[in-house]
Amino acid sequence: MYEAVHARPDGESTVSRLASTAAEYGFAGIVIRNHGDALPDYDRASIADTYGIDVVSGVEVRAEDRSRASGFVGNHRESKTIVAVHGGDLDMNRFAVEQPAVDVLAHPMAGDGDVDHVVVKTAAENSVHIEWSLREVLRAEGGQRVSALRDLTKLRDLIQEYDAPYVVSADPRTHLQLRAPRDLAGLGEALDCSESWIESGLAAWGTLTTRNRERTSEHFVEPGVRREASDDR
Amino acid sequence: MNPLPKHVRQRWRYLAVELESWPNTAIDRRAFQRELWFAAQNLLGDVGSSRVDLTVEQFTFEDGQGNAIVRTRRGATADARAVLACLADVADEPVGVRVSGVSGTVRACEEKYLGSRPEATEHSDVAFAGADRSAVVRNGRVDVRIDEGFVGATQRDLE
Repeated sequence: MYEAVHARPDGESTVSRLASTAAEYGFAGIVIRNHGDALPDYDRASIADTYGIDVVSGVEVRAEDRSRASGFVGNHRESKTIVAVHGGDLDMNRFAVEQPAVDVLAHPMAGDGDVDHVVVKTAAENSVHIEWSLREVLRAEGGQRVSALRDLTKLRDLIQEYDAPYVVSADPRTHLQLRAPRDLAGLGEALDCSESWIESGLAAWGTLTTRNRERTSEHFVEPGVRREASDDR
Repeated sequence: MNPLPKHVRQRWRYLAVELESWPNTAIDRRAFQRELWFAAQNLLGDVGSSRVDLTVEQFTFEDGQGNAIVRTRRGATADARAVLACLADVADEPVGVRVSGVSGTVRACEEKYLGSRPEATEHSDVAFAGADRSAVVRNGRVDVRIDEGFVGATQRDLE
C-alpha cells in the first residue's frame, strides 16, 4: 500500500523523514506529490534504498485556468511518474478528468469543489483516478468535518455506481500526519465503508506507479505490445 | 458489589499506541485521555464512544516521543483504531499516532509491542538548509528548529 505525501517545502518534513516514518508504518511506498511551484530536491533511489520503501516522483499541478494547467501537465508528464491535478473547483475537476495524461484528480471536493455523474463517468473513461481524501476527516473539526464526510459519501456512491478508478490518501504534510494503513482501514469501517475499500484505494497508487513505469520503460510500444530483447538469435 | 462471574465479565482488548510529536511538546496522561474522549465523541457520538469505552491504562511521553496502552471493549478495536487515527492534536500540538499492536492483556501488550527502551535523545547544532540550527537528534531522525517551528528531517538531510 502506498501513501501520497506533501514534503518540504510544501509540508514540514523532508522526503527522507516521511519515507522513514512511512516504512515504519508498513507502507510499501510513498508518492511525493508536491505542488508544481514547490518541488523538493531529493535523491529518490538512495532514499528508497536506505529505508526499504519505494519512493515515487510525482507532482500535483496547481493552476488558475485550463490552458496553464494543460501546459504544466505536459511539462511534468515526461519527468514524473505520477501527475495529479489540484482539484477543488468545478472547472479544474472537469479539466482533469478529460485528460488521459492525468493520473489523479486530487481532493475534488475540497473548498467549493463538487463532482457529478458526468465527471465521474469521464474519469472512468480516461482512467483518471479520483482521490478519496481523508485529510479533513482526520484533521478538521465541527462543521467543516461534517461537510467533508457528506462529500466523501457522495463521492463514494458515484465512484461505485460508475466503477471509476480511485485512490485513497490521508494527504499528510508532515511525518506526524501519516497514519498507518490498518488505522486508516479502521477509520474506513467507522465511515461505513469496508476495509477493502480503503486498502484498494491505497494500493491503487502502487498500481498506477507500476503501470506508468512500465509505460516509460524502453520495452513499451503501446498497451499490449512489448519489444522483447532478441538475444536468442 | 460482588465481582461478576468470569464468563459474564467484560472482555477487553489492549492497544499498544506509539506517539510522536515535536521535541518541545509536553503531553500528560490526562490531556491524552481527554483528547481521546473528545475524538471518540466527535467521530462516533455518545453511543459509539460508550461502545469503544477508551481508557488510557499506561502512558509515557518525553522529549516528543512516547507510548500508551489504551483499553477498549473486545470487538470494538476497529473503531478504537479509527478514533486514534483521528487524534490529530493533543493540547494543541500535532501528534503522530500509530497502533502498533493489539493484545488481550496489559502484560502481553507491554512485552510484545512496547518492549524496546526509549531511544536516546541528543540536542545538538546541525547544518540544515544553508545555516547552522539547533536540533534534536534521535536514532537518525532529526527535528530541526527553524524560526518558531520545527522541520522533520533525518541524518541524510544534514549538510
